[in-house]
Amino acid sequence: MIVEVKNLVKRYGDLVAVDDLDLEVMEGEIFGLLGPNGSGKTTAINCILSLLKFDNGEIKVFGKPMSPEAYDIKKDIGIVMQEVAVFNELTVYENIDYFCGLYITDKSERKKLVEEAIAFVGLGDFKKFYPKKLSGGLLRRLNIACGISHKPKLIILDEPTVAVDPQSRNKILEGIVELNKNGATVIYTSHYMEEVEQICSRIMILDNGKVIATGTKEELKEMISLGEKITLQVFEMEDTHMNFFKTMENAVSVDYDGKFLVMKFQKGNSNLEQVLDYVKSHKINFGKIHTEMPTLNDVFLEITGKELRD
Amino acid sequence: MFYHIFKYRLKVLLRSKEMIFWTLLFPIALSIFFNLAFSGLRNQDSFNIINIAFVDNANDPNFSEAINSVSEGEDRIFNMIRTDLENAEKLLENDEISGIIVSDENITLTVNSSGINQSIIKSFIDQYKQVTSTATRILSQNPQAAADLPAEIATRISYTKSDPMGKSELDIVLNYFYALIAMTCFYGGFFGVEEINQIQANLSKRAARVNVAPIHKLKSFIYSLSASALIQLIEITVFLTFLIFVLGVKFGENMGLVILTTFIGSLTGISFGSFIGAVVKGNENTKTGVLIGVTMIGSFLSGMMFGEMKYIVQTNAPILSYLNPINLLGDAFYSLYIYDTYNRYYTNIAGLLVFTIIFSISTYLIIRRRKYASI
Repeated sequence: MIVEVKNLVKRYGDLVAVDDLDLEVMEGEIFGLLGPNGSGKTTAINCILSLLKFDNGEIKVFGKPMSPEAYDIKKDIGIVMQEVAVFNELTVYENIDYFCGLYITDKSERKKLVEEAIAFVGLGDFKKFYPKKLSGGLLRRLNIACGISHKPKLIILDEPTVAVDPQSRNKILEGIVELNKNGATVIYTSHYMEEVEQICSRIMILDNGKVIATGTKEELKEMISLGEKITLQVFEMEDTHMNFFKTMENAVSVDYDGKFLVMKFQKGNSNLEQVLDYVKSHKINFGKIHTEMPTLNDVFLEITGKELRD
Repeated sequence: MFYHIFKYRLKVLLRSKEMIFWTLLFPIALSIFFNLAFSGLRNQDSFNIINIAFVDNANDPNFSEAINSVSEGEDRIFNMIRTDLENAEKLLENDEISGIIVSDENITLTVNSSGINQSIIKSFIDQYKQVTSTATRILSQNPQAAADLPAEIATRISYTKSDPMGKSELDIVLNYFYALIAMTCFYGGFFGVEEINQIQANLSKRAARVNVAPIHKLKSFIYSLSASALIQLIEITVFLTFLIFVLGVKFGENMGLVILTTFIGSLTGISFGSFIGAVVKGNENTKTGVLIGVTMIGSFLSGMMFGEMKYIVQTNAPILSYLNPINLLGDAFYSLYIYDTYNRYYTNIAGLLVFTIIFSISTYLIIRRRKYASI
């Protein structure tokens, strides 16, 4: 077990930011903490890092109790903050070297690690640039390099892709997967369900400081009753057709907005064939049709009654 | 680890234009401004000979001799032109003379403005009239005294005497510069505020990053603070050098103690900034604002903006002089320059050291916590 949190409670006055959180992160996994803004993800991370006082609970990292003085634990942790935390007065190389130097004292070893980190995040052409000269995406990459250059065993990334363009975001996500392949255990917090779904092997969903659900993405989707979602592009829909779709055996909801007919079904058999048969036999003109399985947003929606992005 | 953190803090601070401006360039600019502003004040000490016109209608040999005697030689008071009234009025109109003395039945003075020159001319005339009146009265009452009269009139006895306080002459302008140096030492507080921001995880994300690294928080703070202290000491040395060799500010003979005083003052300033950084709630701008505000109030009370203020405080609320570290520092420089003994100097330095200890211990008590209630 890399991280073990039991009964963690953190209050800000009357507000319970983290409410009786239990969390276990296994070695070698990418563990996702998913939840909307204010759900308690960053607070939980700051408690794990011993930056924040908490009201109750127990935290172990690498099997040992975590504390501000636990330097033998800290040396193997890398943190990438939600906000870019670098010095504007230092170049890209100097920033990475400075933060790496807080962990690695040997100069030659550090030089090698810094060069590797620069290559890893693709900032080789920007070594002598000051942060102010970097774009938002490059700045985020520098932020990551500063957190991972010392090759930590546990890397905690707190929303590292906020306000990043799609190209840089993909680069960052690929990099995280590569770090994991190289042996690092990763805790990844985000409110972007697509990212978490894409890279995380296990996911914990938080809302209002409470754990809503934990498991692999497949396990999470199994938890809800919702199954297939079929979307049909159709420009005219008679009431009789609508009634048919609504009365299909597994239908949960059927909505038509004048352009798309969206049909949600309970878990179980595929309903696509039945829908297509009806459309053909009643000569309903349609543009395209597609089917998809529930997303993490559907999981969140069914459990909490609200959208993840609300 | 010390060298690593020290080296990078030096780089960060030396490349921070804002920091270098406030801690070095701003005091230099202010000192140049002071020098320009106070050069006029210093020049008031040197007497300029006054141009006057003398219209002698009465042909009074006594007054004529009197006015001649103060218009001749190197130590003369007046550059006197004997002329007629019409020409004299033209000269006055063109501001070529400060006044016209007309000797008629009475001695009259004509001026077209008021000022020091006009007051001196009037004072000369008044004194002549007073002496003439005295001599006339004595001679009418005691004609035998005529022989001794010139010597009696020439004799002036002063019932006050000037007694120098120490080795150097009083110079009111110096106090402004000493208060400015004190302010500059306390602007070292910028470094203190900055270092607190770099170590308190609830103040900056960079600090949070340092707090999760495997290094003791206070050690990291001390390493960083060492870099700040070095830069402040170099800057204050540059500033002192500029004041002495470029502006010619006098510090007396004991330069060793002057330098030591600036160093002690700088350390007090840095510890003061750290204290402000640790104790004041809010972001970096709020803390910097408080630092500037408190330093400016302290500088004002020590006479940097208005020289008399130092003495007003000392007269009306002497305790405030001792509670104002900027005043203690400025006064330490002044007492080094003025007094033969070091009693007052040592009192000031002791006060500064007490403040440094109070600020440092208070800062330590606040930043020693390792976890935060909120970030």
